[in-house]
Amino acid sequence: MNTYYAANLLIYAGVDIIALLALNLQFGVSGIVNFSFIVFQAAGAYTAAVLSLPPDSANGGFQIYFGGYQLPFPLPWLGGAVAGGLLSIPVGLVVLRKLRSDYQAIALLVLSIITNEVITNARPLLNGAAGLALVPPPLSDQIDPNTASYQYFYVALTAVCVVLVFVLVNRVVNSPYGRSLRAMREREIAAIAIGKNPVELKMTVFIVGGVAAGLSGAILVGFIQLWAPSVWLYPETIILFAAIIVGGRGNNVGAILGALLVPVGFEEVTRFIPTTIGPPGLIPALQWVAIGLLIIGFLWFRPDGVRPEPRHVFDGAPVLEDVDHARRG
Amino acid sequence: MDLYVAAFGFGLVSMSVIAIAAVGFTMQFGITNMINLAYGEVMISSAYVAYYLNKAGISIWFGMVAGALFGAVFSFLLNRIVYAPFLRRGTSHIGMVIVSLAVSLMIANLLLPIVGYYSVSYQDTTGGLIRAGGIVLTTNQIAIIGVAVLLMLLIHGLLRYTRLGKAMRATAANPTLARNCGIPTQRVVDAVWLITGALCGLAGVVAAMNSDSFAIANGAGFLITALAAAVLGEVVAFGILVAVMVLRPQGLLAKRGALAAAG
Repeated sequence: MNTYYAANLLIYAGVDIIALLALNLQFGVSGIVNFSFIVFQAAGAYTAAVLSLPPDSANGGFQIYFGGYQLPFPLPWLGGAVAGGLLSIPVGLVVLRKLRSDYQAIALLVLSIITNEVITNARPLLNGAAGLALVPPPLSDQIDPNTASYQYFYVALTAVCVVLVFVLVNRVVNSPYGRSLRAMREREIAAIAIGKNPVELKMTVFIVGGVAAGLSGAILVGFIQLWAPSVWLYPETIILFAAIIVGGRGNNVGAILGALLVPVGFEEVTRFIPTTIGPPGLIPALQWVAIGLLIIGFLWFRPDGVRPEPRHVFDGAPVLEDVDHARRG
Repeated sequence: MDLYVAAFGFGLVSMSVIAIAAVGFTMQFGITNMINLAYGEVMISSAYVAYYLNKAGISIWFGMVAGALFGAVFSFLLNRIVYAPFLRRGTSHIGMVIVSLAVSLMIANLLLPIVGYYSVSYQDTTGGLIRAGGIVLTTNQIAIIGVAVLLMLLIHGLLRYTRLGKAMRATAANPTLARNCGIPTQRVVDAVWLITGALCGLAGVVAAMNSDSFAIANGAGFLITALAAAVLGEVVAFGILVAVMVLRPQGLLAKRGALAAAG
């Protein structure tokens, strides 16, 4: 296995882990079914791209986009994270306040499809369907990106971000605040009754998740150096949901496990199946079918995932017969 | 001005197509309380069934019937094999939404290797032109409007005047109570999936007829249109859609406050 392939795998793993920690915070811990998660990742990626690219007249002006600020390294990544968070505010305010949870999921799914259509067709905004290419990798003016040492450097940068996000979400999940979130997920009315404000909790989680999603997008775009609407179609979010369901909802270790099993493990293994079998497009299509089966299979046979969420029970708490029922409820 | 009149004519046709899809979706959701995100994919599958029949030289009108039958059987099986077992287990609303999204992904990708990526279109779907006061429509478009009106009346009649319709309304209002009153809710739900599946399949064929060409990727668009019309239908009467709203059995199925917070 050569350095580039290893670095590629590790960076994808890092990006997926950050994304899944964020999605787990939203879906696993708080019960927000964010079907437009990939849009926030895309927002971070596009922002990081336009912050680090030169103005669009460069390179012969073959692509059109706004911005092009050529900012030095940490700024595009920070910008991407901020963009993910900022986008979460209006979306959250519209979706999370009044809608019932299944309507929330649908509104977010539709938002994901519409956003992709708009960006695909509005070329002057972010170069439309062709997307942005030649995004400069971080610090490429100081270190040559085409060296093995740069690959290690990028892996290290990604790892730092993974650790930061992990520490952050771990603190949230294991704090009293995390307990409020879980209370809201289990029984929203009961949480309101003990004085929790579900809208406030959901908005906070939505924004924190958006920031992490934006960061993951910024890391990814710096590495692959291009970003187009075809990489953030709504089924990409379904892969992330599959990962959470497989790994185990509501716990961060499960989220990391899910990231390693589904987007990295599953996709990487199936990549080696020759695509020449059957009619064109058969193997990629079957990959998606398998993702669907994975979700349905796990929800049926092992709804709590490979690593179920640990039960948080206090010593001496009364044992409720309907705890299991309530958990699903 | 002529432009607006002509656009109104086309609007009437689109409205008829959307109305069929939306009534099917609303009825499915209203009675079974299941948001079936695979609806758009069932529509497109049925459109392809009609396409292959049409390609074999069978008239598109028979194709429409075949599409409706296919949609009915497909939706019925979908419920029996996937949704109903999950619902019996007490899977939450959200769980069901995720399951149906996974199903939709699977249908689209199972269909893809069979039908390919390319856009296709039906043969002999235009017919002669008919002009009436600035509105220019083909006979087939007039027929689509006719089919939609007929279906609305049939559905209205079914819900309003038949025992099955009464049982459906009772099941929609309170399934447990309905069961306790001796209504076989299981069979009612089966009937609902068959009827709404037929509407869904028919809507798919009609939508494909009304557009120049269609491809597998249109499934998501069909779903969004049906969702938008179903949601709008519950909240506001909107532009030209008003006409449809009058014909829709909306008063019987409207879920008041469905958009408000649960509980």
